[in-house]
Amino acid sequence: MAMDSGADGQSHKAHRSRHSGASAKKKTKAKNKDQNSDQKQQNPKAFAFRSNAKAKRLQSRAVEKEQRRLHLPVIDRSYGELPPFVVVVQGPPQVGKSLLIKTLVKHYTKHNLPDVRGPITIVSGKQRRLQFVECPNDINGMIDAAKFADLALLLIDGSYGFEMETFEFLNILQVHGFPKVMGVLTHLDKFKDVKKLKKTKQRLKHRFWTEIYDGAKLFYLSGLIHGKYPKREVHNLARFISVMKFPPLSWRTSHPYLLVDRFEDVTPPERVQMNSKCDRNVTLYGYLRGCNLKKGTKVHIAGVGDFSLAGVTGLSDPCPLPSAAKKKGLRDKEKLFYAPMSGLGDLLYDKDAVYININDQFVQYSKVDEMGGTTNKENKRDVGEDLVKSLQAVKSPIDEKLEKTKISLFSHNDRKRRKAIFGDGVDHSNLKSTDEENEGDEDDDSDNDNDEGENDRSNEDNESCSGSEFSDGDEEDLKSEEDDRSNEDNESCSGSEFSDGDKEDLKSEEDGMGNISKWRASLVERASKKQNINLMQLVYGKSASTSNTSTNEVKDDSENEESDEDEFFKPKGQRAKNSIEGLGGGNINTEDCSKSTKISELKNWKEEEVYESIRDRFVTGDWSKGALRNQMSEAKTEEDDIDGDFEDLETGEKYESHQKDDSSNGGIQKEDDDAIEERRLKKLALRAKFDAHYDGSESPEEETDVQNGGKFHRSQANDSGYYDKLKEEIELQKQINIAELDDLDETTRLEIEGFRTGMYLRLEVHDVPFEMIEYFDPCHPILVGGIGLGEENVGYMQTRLKRHRWHKKVLKTRDPIIVSIGWRRYQTTPVYAIEDQNGRHRMLKYTPEHMHCLAMFWGPLAPPKTGVLAVQNLSNNQAAFRIIATAYVLEFNHAARIVKKIKLVGYPCKIFKKTALIKDMFTSDSKWLGLRVQQFEL
Amino acid sequence: MGKITYKRLKGSQNMRQRLLLATLKSTPVLIEDIHADDTLPGLRPHEISLLRLFEKLTDDCLIEINETGTKLKYKPGIIVGGSHLVHDCGVSRAIGYFLEPLILLGLFARKTLVIILKGITNDSKDPSVDTFRSTTFPLLKRFGVPSEGLKLEIKSRGVSPHGGGEVHLAIPTVQHLTATMWTDEGMVKRIRGEAFTTRVSVQLGNEMIYAARGIFNRLLPDVYIASDYRKRSEAGNSSGYGISLVAETTSGCCISADTTVSYPRGDEEEDIEGEEKKELIPAADVGEKLASVLLEEIEKGGVVDSTHQGLLFLLCALCVNDVSKVRVGKLSPYGIETLREIRDFLDVQFVIKPDPSTGTVILKCWGSGMKNLSRKTT
Repeated sequence: MAMDSGADGQSHKAHRSRHSGASAKKKTKAKNKDQNSDQKQQNPKAFAFRSNAKAKRLQSRAVEKEQRRLHLPVIDRSYGELPPFVVVVQGPPQVGKSLLIKTLVKHYTKHNLPDVRGPITIVSGKQRRLQFVECPNDINGMIDAAKFADLALLLIDGSYGFEMETFEFLNILQVHGFPKVMGVLTHLDKFKDVKKLKKTKQRLKHRFWTEIYDGAKLFYLSGLIHGKYPKREVHNLARFISVMKFPPLSWRTSHPYLLVDRFEDVTPPERVQMNSKCDRNVTLYGYLRGCNLKKGTKVHIAGVGDFSLAGVTGLSDPCPLPSAAKKKGLRDKEKLFYAPMSGLGDLLYDKDAVYININDQFVQYSKVDEMGGTTNKENKRDVGEDLVKSLQAVKSPIDEKLEKTKISLFSHNDRKRRKAIFGDGVDHSNLKSTDEENEGDEDDDSDNDNDEGENDRSNEDNESCSGSEFSDGDEEDLKSEEDDRSNEDNESCSGSEFSDGDKEDLKSEEDGMGNISKWRASLVERASKKQNINLMQLVYGKSASTSNTSTNEVKDDSENEESDEDEFFKPKGQRAKNSIEGLGGGNINTEDCSKSTKISELKNWKEEEVYESIRDRFVTGDWSKGALRNQMSEAKTEEDDIDGDFEDLETGEKYESHQKDDSSNGGIQKEDDDAIEERRLKKLALRAKFDAHYDGSESPEEETDVQNGGKFHRSQANDSGYYDKLKEEIELQKQINIAELDDLDETTRLEIEGFRTGMYLRLEVHDVPFEMIEYFDPCHPILVGGIGLGEENVGYMQTRLKRHRWHKKVLKTRDPIIVSIGWRRYQTTPVYAIEDQNGRHRMLKYTPEHMHCLAMFWGPLAPPKTGVLAVQNLSNNQAAFRIIATAYVLEFNHAARIVKKIKLVGYPCKIFKKTALIKDMFTSDSKWLGLRVQQFEL
Repeated sequence: MGKITYKRLKGSQNMRQRLLLATLKSTPVLIEDIHADDTLPGLRPHEISLLRLFEKLTDDCLIEINETGTKLKYKPGIIVGGSHLVHDCGVSRAIGYFLEPLILLGLFARKTLVIILKGITNDSKDPSVDTFRSTTFPLLKRFGVPSEGLKLEIKSRGVSPHGGGEVHLAIPTVQHLTATMWTDEGMVKRIRGEAFTTRVSVQLGNEMIYAARGIFNRLLPDVYIASDYRKRSEAGNSSGYGISLVAETTSGCCISADTTVSYPRGDEEEDIEGEEKKELIPAADVGEKLASVLLEEIEKGGVVDSTHQGLLFLLCALCVNDVSKVRVGKLSPYGIETLREIRDFLDVQFVIKPDPSTGTVILKCWGSGMKNLSRKTT
């Protein structure tokens, strides 16, 4: 022992428990309590159930509670890296929102943030990134923020109490799927009286609980120290954020969306010059969330409209998670953050270039030269004075001088933005621009040396980047070589452009791994790839023609139709020529028949060798061979194909032995393999499920429950039920998906499933109204949401609506309201109705006071069960509650019959036995109404 | 109302899939040059009948056809479905032609679809109604369609020239389809079938059964082919006979084949295959040939026969956002066309990998996540 401790160098200090003070008191109290409980336990019979009925009731209640806790498990289809979680900081003005973000950012990254504009992405842990957004205070901004928030921090001024904004935001959150919410009380230093403070905290907490649920977290920030929140409290808050789990919300898991953290106008400048109000082209950058985004998806930019994507590209992550190496905590280098709208963050990845932003304070100028340069330019001061100045002043004088002499290259913004160019996909325009910059640098004599330092560095960066790329390529090559064996076997079996010599060459390559073999390997790989997608190409044609039909969309105009009519008379040949543009090329009017077998060309199935050839497809045949056929799929395509001529080749022992294996106990082994594979998937699923479950039940109460024998059994029984099975199925499906998608190469995978969630995307959108650029405000986050199937259409929707209880007035039919459904916000005129007992929808002029009613309105459709929120007025200067009603979509309908009860008053002018003619019922004179009086039997 | 953007297409090919996918995805389509070069230009009677069927099932759909019938504008509505519907399919194509899109449409309707279809029940061009019962419905179950609501009753059979058949179809609605991994073909464990005769002797049916059994008996003992003898009102308006066979495998796949022999349809189509000459093929030959067709389908492999490939791909593409994987035999032309239409409309591409050792093809896709939007919430 002594030796060991000596080897360690130091022995750890033993824990010394407290003997006095608050925590010691607490402990003794707890101990006493424990003893008390122990005493109680000494006579357990005394606390057993006396009455049978009561026991039953209690038991059923416990079971019911258990069931109520359960939710239908939802499949989480986000594979791979998660996008950063969005933390929306919301609160009334002057409550300390930006300060909270600043202190949190400072806590995570040790950087001071000058001002909060736009989303700020930070790496908060080894597995976790966060994106802080400040919620603007107008209702539109709040609605948008509620749609992308994963966690909402509701800031409340403790000295003032709750304000309307908090409740409005809570209601908005509730309608658009309820993300996690945490309250934060600020301004608590304004209380002088401790008792009053305690009381207020209590009151606010309970009010908060009634709004959300009992036990909702309300955090207290006690006050400001040096204009910042206390470090310890911010640390605690960060801990709360870091352990928070975010349940998937149904709308978001079925729609892709982006919170835009970088936004650029890429309209050609000539066009803007010609007409400053022309439609613009913009690029939007952000992490993809929700679900996968396919290339053809249309998107809705909140507050702007629906657009089809002109281009989507996946960029490398500007704020990547640290590498997976095992270590404690984050290193300083990995504490990245990215906030392009705030003008901070180090790297900017564009489609074809990388910008490096270097803060001024980090740029090392060669000071002596600079000083000399500046002094030379200025009116030749005294050398001594200069010296003194340089000694006295640390930073600012230099800066001033720099500004005066216009040395600073990028005087407009506080950062240096420089472009480092990658070798491959360089735009020519970019190249040119960098060239120009370089030339400009050379022309500038005064700051030449200064620049050179920077240039050097950028060059280095360039090199390092390109170097890494090369190495990547190498890796790929290596991989391809490894893979080649299987590929090349495939080829030899299926079609055989490659001779046996190739195979041997490859073998030698594997041994030697020379430089020469590299090109060959890539060639082979390319060939094999071609082989793989051959069938796909046959079916889908070349990738360029993928959207040949979808691009041919036309706007429906009456003129268009006419012009078509004009073209009706055409020479026959020309028409035919036109028709051969399509993919099939052939006849476009082929008959639509699913049956394709021709009865005429048939084998003679009476012959023995013919029918014996499919003997193994029947249960009367060889079962092992039949099984082999079915299991072949995975093993075969990945490894090698058993084929006749392959056996003859004497390529290597390894192959042969493998071959023997297959032939001897092929079927059984394959079956085993398959079973093993399945078991593996199941195991993975189980593990994932266990993880999820374990994380969920980490709270201490449940652990103590587990210690209790009876409860443990009950929960066990419950777990193995239907709910568990469902969960297992979902996990299994997820594992299958991952397994199936992972063995595709990158491009095909992209085509099949689209861009994965968590990717940093660059969306290009054309023809956006110029107002979006003109009124762009980085403090208003932009939300881009993908439009689901059938959601781009417009029509009538029926919703179940309830006036909000805090809105003062009832709502009137056909009064325009602004609704927020799905990603959209739009104004519409609802017609209110109520369903009578006989199923008739009777129109209501006003909504009921405290009841639900139906509201019918026209607009872009949203799927049933989508939440709807209505406001009447977007202006900020309303004292009252701004949300007027909440609703959800029942169905959409072409026509719903809503009937209206009317009362017509007139004078009878002719009266018959059972009929009367009534006058003056309508304002126009000519109308009469014949009325048949019904006789009521009493 | 805003302007409607139409997807522009050409020709009458794949009319069924195009209209179906357009309706499911609610994309308006504009089809031009429909049989424009034929002596009788314009839409065929069965295509018009199909449009009428779509109009019947949907709410707020808009169909415009120009005077010559070569141009069609279709703006789909909401799929409503409903019961007590009757549709006359005409006699230019069999009911099978209409059933294929109808089944998928019914799954995504608002209300359970119950419809009476009248026309030709059995035909050599389209899958017969027996095949739908025996093969298509089990296929649907794979994708999470409840089996209780699926029903197809053959009230009366009708064959080619004059039709007169009637079937009652019921299709339940689903919220969404579930993805499936379906690559295990299994081995054929039993063969079932039905031989029918309308307005001809019972003996012909027995002959077919006898001949077919003769082929199967060498391979499998478990063969049972029922005979369905129809007469009077149940037998439709014209005489004919036919047989449909289905092979069930140990893994629950159904592989089917069917054919019908009857007199051809007037003067309209001269170029029909040789089997439909003035005198009909003898029943024994029909049985034998169809048995051979079934064996050939089995030889091709895959979890479905070539007729059902299109439907299988459509179902896979309409699944929730999960990976589906299926194995089929050689891709049929219809299957390929369907794949293309799926790509164009739903933006779903399949990964197609040949499995050279068995001569089959394995297809993988990521479902489009189609949900039944028209179903009313409670």
